[in-house]
Amino acid sequence: MTDRHGLTRRDLLKGTAAGVALSLPRLPRPAGAAEPDLAVITGEPAAATRRAVEALGGMSRFVQKGQRVVLKPNMSFASGPERASNTHPAVVQAVAQMCLEAGAAQVMILDNPLQSAELCLRRAGVADACRNMKNVYVQMFTDHKFFREIKVPQGKVLDRVEVIKEVLDSPVLISLPQAKSHSTTGVSMGIKGLMGLIWDRWSFHSRYNINQALADLATVLRPKLTVLDATRALTTGGPSGPGEVVKPNLVIAGIDPIAVDSFGVGVAPWYGQQFRGRQVDHLAAAGQRGLGKVDTEQLNILRATA
Amino acid sequence: MRAAVQTLSLLLFTLLFALANFRLPDWLPADIYLRLNPLLGLSAILAGRAWVPRAAWGLVLILATILFGRFFCAYVCPLGAILDFLDPVLFRRAHRPPLKAEATLRRVKLVTLVVFLAAAAAGASLVYLLDPIALLTRTYTFALYPPFVGLVNLLLDAIRPMAEALRWVRVSTLSYTQPVFYMSLITLLIFAGIIALGRLAPRFWCRYLCPLGALLSLLSPWARLRRTVGPECPACGLCQEACPMGAAEDEGRTRSGECIQCRTCAAACPQDLITFPASPHLLPPGDSSLPDLSRRGLLTSMAAGVGLGFLVEQSPFTPLQNKQPLIRPPGALPESEFLTTCIRCGECMKSCLTNTLQPSLWEGGLAGLWTPKLDLRFAACEQECNVCGKVCPTQAIRSLGLEEKTHAKLGTAILRKEMCLVWAQDKLCLICDEICPYDAIVFRTIEGYRRPVVVAPRCNGCGYCEQRCPVEGESAIVVAPIGQIRLRTGSYVAEAKKLQLDFRPNPGDDQFILKNEGLRVEPGPAKDGGPAGRPPAAPGATQKPQGFSQ
Repeated sequence: MTDRHGLTRRDLLKGTAAGVALSLPRLPRPAGAAEPDLAVITGEPAAATRRAVEALGGMSRFVQKGQRVVLKPNMSFASGPERASNTHPAVVQAVAQMCLEAGAAQVMILDNPLQSAELCLRRAGVADACRNMKNVYVQMFTDHKFFREIKVPQGKVLDRVEVIKEVLDSPVLISLPQAKSHSTTGVSMGIKGLMGLIWDRWSFHSRYNINQALADLATVLRPKLTVLDATRALTTGGPSGPGEVVKPNLVIAGIDPIAVDSFGVGVAPWYGQQFRGRQVDHLAAAGQRGLGKVDTEQLNILRATA
Repeated sequence: MRAAVQTLSLLLFTLLFALANFRLPDWLPADIYLRLNPLLGLSAILAGRAWVPRAAWGLVLILATILFGRFFCAYVCPLGAILDFLDPVLFRRAHRPPLKAEATLRRVKLVTLVVFLAAAAAGASLVYLLDPIALLTRTYTFALYPPFVGLVNLLLDAIRPMAEALRWVRVSTLSYTQPVFYMSLITLLIFAGIIALGRLAPRFWCRYLCPLGALLSLLSPWARLRRTVGPECPACGLCQEACPMGAAEDEGRTRSGECIQCRTCAAACPQDLITFPASPHLLPPGDSSLPDLSRRGLLTSMAAGVGLGFLVEQSPFTPLQNKQPLIRPPGALPESEFLTTCIRCGECMKSCLTNTLQPSLWEGGLAGLWTPKLDLRFAACEQECNVCGKVCPTQAIRSLGLEEKTHAKLGTAILRKEMCLVWAQDKLCLICDEICPYDAIVFRTIEGYRRPVVVAPRCNGCGYCEQRCPVEGESAIVVAPIGQIRLRTGSYVAEAKKLQLDFRPNPGDDQFILKNEGLRVEPGPAKDGGPAGRPPAAPGATQKPQGFSQ
C-alpha cells in the first residue's frame, strides 16, 4: 500500500476533488462553494477541532465507510497537556470520534514514544480520553517487528525508511501534531511529527541533514488531513519541555501539511521571536519539493471561533 | 491439603513478583516474602550496624515458628514448594539410599548459618548467597522472568497472522518488552544445582544447606505443636522412610528441629499412631534435636565467618570504592552501608521500568556481587518512576516520593569532547540537549563555535544523554558518580537545595541554540532589535547576547 502514500499532491488533490464531487449530492452546501485551504478556529480543544474539520467539509471528505484510519498525535513524552509537548487528548478524542461518525471501521491512534511506552500512555492522557470508544485503539509501537521498510523514490538523502506497518496498511493517515519548539529543527509540527512513525530516527540526527531527511520522509508519508493543536504552544524547551507555554487557543486544520505547519509557525513566538514558515528549514525544503505551500498569505483561510 | 497451601503460596510469591513494577501501589508490599524472612533482616542489621524497620516483619515468622514449628519450610517457602513439586517429576525413578554422611551434612546448614551471621558481624553481607527467598527472587528476576517474556512473545508472534486476519487488534499489536540482565546464566546454574541435589536425597537443600531452615530449626524444638508417636508403635520404619526431612528416628523419637510439620509420616503410618498435639512441655524427653553442632564446630564456623567477612570487606575494592564508576540506584544508602544492607534479591532490578538496573559482577569487588548498578548506556533512569526503593526489603535503596527521588542525584554527566560529534566533528547534533529533562546541557558559543556543555548543578545523572548519544559504541557523554547524593536519612530535596542544585528547566538557555537551529534568521536590517546581521559571537561571549532577549 506504499503507493497510497506515494501519491503526489496533485493526484491527491485531484482525487479528493473527485471524491468531493461525487459526494456533492449529499452535501447541504451549494455546488461550487470551495472548502478553505486552512481552517483556523479559536476555542477549546474539542470544540475547535470539530469546527475546524467541519469547515474543511467534514470528516467524510477524508474517511470512507469501513476504512481503517491511523491517527498520529504527539504522545511520545510522559507528560500531561499543561506541558504542551503532547497533543491535547481532547483534540485526539474529537478526531477519533469524527472518524467513527464518518464510518471508520477502526481508528488506530499510535506513536513510537521517546520515553517508556507505558508511562507515555498513562501521562499523555489519550488512552484515558478514548477509553470507552469502540473500535478505537491507542497503541505504542516500540518493537522492530511492527515496522516495515519502504523505498523513498524521491528521496534526496533518504532512499529507504522503516515505517510502522499499521500506517502502511491503512488507507487513511491523519496527522495530529502539537505545536512546539524543537531544539534541532526550530519547530516541531506535522512534518516533524511524522518522524514518530519511523524506526531509526536517530540517523536523522547523526547521519543525515535532518531538514532534508524530513522533506524526504514527507514524500512517502502523506497524511490526508493535518489538524495542528495550537491550543497551547511550547515556545521554548521543545520537543520534550518543560519550557515556556503560551496559549494561542487555536486549532489549525488543512489538507496541505506544509501549509498547516507554516501557518502554525506564525501563531506564536519561538524562542522569543516571530518567524514565518519559510524561515523554518525543513518546511522550506519540503516546499521546494512541491509538497505544499510555505507561504500562506495567498491561501483561502477560514477563521472562526468555536 | 499441604500441596494446596504450597501451591497457593508459590502463586502468591509469583504474583507479588509480577506486581513489582512501576505501577506498584504504595500500600502493596510486593517484597513481603523477603521482609518476613528473619535471616535477611538479621544479617542486614548485623552487617549494616543499623536497625532496618522492614526487618520487624521477620518477628512474625519467628513467633509463628515458636508456636507452630518449622511449618514455613513445608507450607510457605516457595523454594521448598518448587523442590517438592519437581521431586516426583525428576526423581521418581531415582534410587536414593540413606546418605552415609547424613549426620555431618545435617550440620552443614548450621555451619552456613553461623558463617553468614559471623561474616555479617564482621561487616560483610553474604547471606544472600544461600538464603532461599533472596536466591529464588534473584533466580526469578535474572533467569526465569526474561525467558518467560520471550516465550510469551514467541507465542504472540505465532498467533499474530491469525489475529491480524481476524482483526483482533489488541492481540495483533501486543508485544512485551523482554528484559535482559547480566549474570542470568550463573544465577540459573546455581538454581539448577539446587534442584539437581534432590537426586541424592529429597529436599537435599532444605535438609542440609538452607541457612534459613537452620535458623528456624533452632527455634522449632520449642514449638507447641510437636510430633508424638503412640506407645504401641511396632517400629515398622515406614515413617522414617516417608519423612522428606529425615526427622523421624527410631523408637518414635523425633528430631524436632528437622520436623517441618508436613505430616507425611502420619499419612504413612499404617496404624495411625502419629499425632501432632499441642504440647505444654518445653522439650520432651528423648528429643535429639538441639543443634548438634559441637562447641568446636561452632567456634570454627564463627572464625571462618569472621575470616570470610574480613576477606570480603578488607580488599582494595573497599578503600577504592570511589574509583569504580558504579552508578547506584536513586536513594541508595552511602556505599559502605549500601553494600552491607543490600541482600541481592534482585527485586529492584525486576521492577525497574527501563531495565537500566543490572547486577554487578566484580565491579564492586567481592562485596558487590549482584548489587544493582545503573547501565545508563543501555537505558536511562526514568524520572517518573520510583519503584526500586518501594520494593527494597531492607531499604538499602530508600523508598522515596518522586520529588525526593528526582533530587537523589546519581552523578553528573561528563562530555567527552574528543568523541562528541559536535566538539570533534562540528556536526549538527543536539540529541543530549533535546532529551535532557532538566536542560542541563546547553549550547554556548566557545571560540566562535556553538558547543554543548554540561551545567553540572542541573544534572541529576538520569542518563538519558548517555543512552541516546548517537556515537557508536561508547557514549560521548557519560554519567560519572561525581556529585552523587547518598543519604542515610533526611531529605534529598533539602540536601540538593543546600548544594544549590536545581533540577528544573531553565527555558532561558534555549535561546542560545537559536542560530543554525533550523530557524533561519532573515537577512537585512534588524527590525525590533532582531538578531539579523549580528556579528559572529566573539570568543568568551557573554551568556545572553542581545537580540534574543525579547
